[in-house]
Amino acid sequence: MDVSLHARNVEFDWSNVPAVWIPGEPYVCHLLNSVHLILPSFERWFIEVYTEALPLVRDDKVLEDMKGFIGQESMHAESHQGAAEHLAALGYDVQPFLDQMHWLFFEVLGSRPHLSAVRQVDWVVERCALIAGLEHLTAAAGHWFLNDTGPWVRAGADPVMTDLLLWHGAEEVEHRSVAFDVYQHLDGRVLRRMLGMTVALAGLLLLAIRGAKHLAAADPDLKKKPGALRFAWEFFRAGRKGLLPRLRLLISQVLPYFRRSYHPSQEFDTELAVSYLATSPAARAAQR
Amino acid sequence: MRIQPPPDLRGRARRDRVMQIVATIGGRWDTVSHWLGKGRPPVTPVNRVLPLTVEEVRREAVAEDVLSLTLSHVDGDRLPDWHPGAHLDLLLPSGRMRQYSLTGDPADLSSYRIAVRSIPDGGGGSLEVHTLQPGDRVSVLGPRNAFPYVRQDAYLFVAGGIGITPILPMVRDAARRGADYRIVYTGRSLSSLPFVDELREIAGYRLWVRTDDEHGLPTGPDLIRDLPAGAAIYCCGPPPMISAIRSVVPVQVPLFSERFSAPPVIGGTEFTVTLARSGARVQVAADESALAAIRRVRPAVMYSCQQGFCGTCKVRVLDGTVEHVNQRPLPGYMNICVSRGQGDLTLDL
Repeated sequence: MDVSLHARNVEFDWSNVPAVWIPGEPYVCHLLNSVHLILPSFERWFIEVYTEALPLVRDDKVLEDMKGFIGQESMHAESHQGAAEHLAALGYDVQPFLDQMHWLFFEVLGSRPHLSAVRQVDWVVERCALIAGLEHLTAAAGHWFLNDTGPWVRAGADPVMTDLLLWHGAEEVEHRSVAFDVYQHLDGRVLRRMLGMTVALAGLLLLAIRGAKHLAAADPDLKKKPGALRFAWEFFRAGRKGLLPRLRLLISQVLPYFRRSYHPSQEFDTELAVSYLATSPAARAAQR
Repeated sequence: MRIQPPPDLRGRARRDRVMQIVATIGGRWDTVSHWLGKGRPPVTPVNRVLPLTVEEVRREAVAEDVLSLTLSHVDGDRLPDWHPGAHLDLLLPSGRMRQYSLTGDPADLSSYRIAVRSIPDGGGGSLEVHTLQPGDRVSVLGPRNAFPYVRQDAYLFVAGGIGITPILPMVRDAARRGADYRIVYTGRSLSSLPFVDELREIAGYRLWVRTDDEHGLPTGPDLIRDLPAGAAIYCCGPPPMISAIRSVVPVQVPLFSERFSAPPVIGGTEFTVTLARSGARVQVAADESALAAIRRVRPAVMYSCQQGFCGTCKVRVLDGTVEHVNQRPLPGYMNICVSRGQGDLTLDL
């Protein structure tokens, strides 16, 4: 189903959400909370790159999709920023990490106006290849969130935080083809796409683990600062309980991207995403 | 390019080692991307316009002056497939573009059917469609889904007047799949409603035609009183009808309504916008948004939601007073898709 993309308005009430929002699962929560630190800059960076890429596009459908995508990403950035500010209010020192993400996305990966015109186009296309890879990963995560919330519900996960992740995940599934189509339109070579995914996967894992470590170090209830082994064990355990995707699943969802004939419409389920969006409490609250 | 790594996350004196590596690689990355860009194929322009010809024009409701148009490909080709709820962008000879829901049968790809109610005091688009004759040519973009229909076991469909157009293919699909569904079809009077006979044939007792002349104006509880267990609600019609339903539907019942890209401007006044970077002056009419007016001179201006919440279109205000319509106004900025000026405005564009 080819959905015409629109940003949805949402309202989240953070006032009663604890930092460890799945009771007894601090490591899982710190990993999932790390997205609030990464995503505000990450998604604003998408918008910056696409604003630069728009003049290169010669396809009205791709252009229309990019505009809908930009609006949705902007709402995601706002909402995760709200969650990050809430973590700050709970005593977590998140600002240095937010600053580092801003540095990463806007200095290392930002526009480079000193380059020649040709090199600037190359730089935009390069970042579009990276975004195509990243968007496959966010859609895979969104699909996993939507597919089975049972373990979270049984573990007593906070409904507001669950809604944020599901709403965001559902829109990622809904717009999963956009970044791919943009890359295909502007370049389309398979090897470069695969290279983009390799960097995207390594980068995202690195950032998520650094974010989780940063939050765990600030958690007053964790007496000992957890090392890499502790995290690995906790994530393995959470995977078995269904609170996080298992490594095997992660691999099976990333591999199709390396197929020559891959297109995002072959993976994941738009109907499931659209159905969730029709009942998301945050989206419904903002509509009234 | 040399990039300075950021300070350490925990405020220690040494620089962050991982980020030092990231800075070193990142600084050379544009050179790599230039090298990778060498064999890049040129961007191929894609033309998405479908040339169609009008096959048949039929009057569907006498009192409301609704016409249905059957459109087929000029070369007789098979048309792109679509899902119930999809719409077309119809490009009219005058340059106007209007969106109309597909209201035919998705299983028949030899033609598309749309239905258009004439609105004498609208923007002129519907009147122009009403002048089309069999054999005339039109261009369309699409089909696209702004009202996605999800397969479920039970539905309540609520349509108001011409809002039946996207609902009709949904009803046909629900009937074909044997789903449990009800339709509430509202309007002023029976003669104002298009496709009643067609619906009756598909839906039989599941259809309730609820006209104002017989029952009075509908309320939210009226409209959803026949909600089947476990059903999703699909509604399309005038905004008051949709708000009435929204206010009474419990949050766990999925509710889908057609999302229009830009809401109409109501009660606006005329004002002038000066674009500081070029000095261009743009007149914003009472019934259009600043965005629509600015796009006439700056087609590339950024926007997305067109409803004042996403912030994509926000622009720095250099001079003048802004009437903010959006929910989270940022001081010194304006969301040009909905906010308006009181008198003259100067924007950083």
